[in-house]
Amino acid sequence: MVIIMIYEYIYITFLIILALMLFPCLIRAIRGPRIADRLMSVNMMGTLVMVMIAILALLLHEGYLVDVCLVYAMISFLAVVVLTKVYIGIYEEKRHASDHPDEEDKGGMSDGNF
Amino acid sequence: MEIFDWIRLILGCSFMICGLVIFFTEIFGIFHFNYILNRMHAAAMGDTLGIASCMLGLIIFSGFNMTSLKLLLIVVFLWFASPVSSHVLARLEVATNENLEAHCTVYTDLEALETELSLQAASSEPWQPETAAHVATAAESTGTSAGEEENQNGGETS
Repeated sequence: MVIIMIYEYIYITFLIILALMLFPCLIRAIRGPRIADRLMSVNMMGTLVMVMIAILALLLHEGYLVDVCLVYAMISFLAVVVLTKVYIGIYEEKRHASDHPDEEDKGGMSDGNF
Repeated sequence: MEIFDWIRLILGCSFMICGLVIFFTEIFGIFHFNYILNRMHAAAMGDTLGIASCMLGLIIFSGFNMTSLKLLLIVVFLWFASPVSSHVLARLEVATNENLEAHCTVYTDLEALETELSLQAASSEPWQPETAAHVATAAESTGTSAGEEENQNGGETS
């Protein structure tokens, strides 16, 4: 019975350490000079949260939390890819507008304009 | 049989502490480097090796059941997804940075890099990229990601 207590203490200790590790990622996401820094930090925070959810699944003895973790991984990957496409589209649109300032903006014709 | 429980506890704990050390190295790396293409190296290490080590520790804790199979599936998915997201982020940075050659050497064609590397292989000095010749051609073609090192990737973003 002592080993179950040890398992719980270990899980809670790892959860606290991982939660403290989230703050430097958040600082980098705020301070990051470019937009790719922020996306990279959000991806890192997603990885840390995945480990936290997996530890929580074993701590609470709830198997379905691992499914939540799997879906979280997929959505985090999708968010990075989609946001990258959106920002490249916005940049192309701005560059096109600065190259041809006399043309009317059609609005909603290009990829990045959601 | 209690000795096996203790062995499992110590083994899983060592794997998880190894994963936490790798996460700490990742966080140290993103504050140590000063450009995104360097920081990405540190961030991708935690996405693959760090989470694999943590999940391996959790699999040892969990034993042989359906939960450990799902944890393994997360690791396999991230090993495929993390290089793709790193590549996509690098393409975002290269496509949107106006003065990329202030941070790294840009080769517009791969033949220049190959000749430089073959010249270096003949000599015994450590390799230093020559900046002056290629930067001039790269400065004219910023924005359309033509200055990327794999120059066949550019231009298909819109």
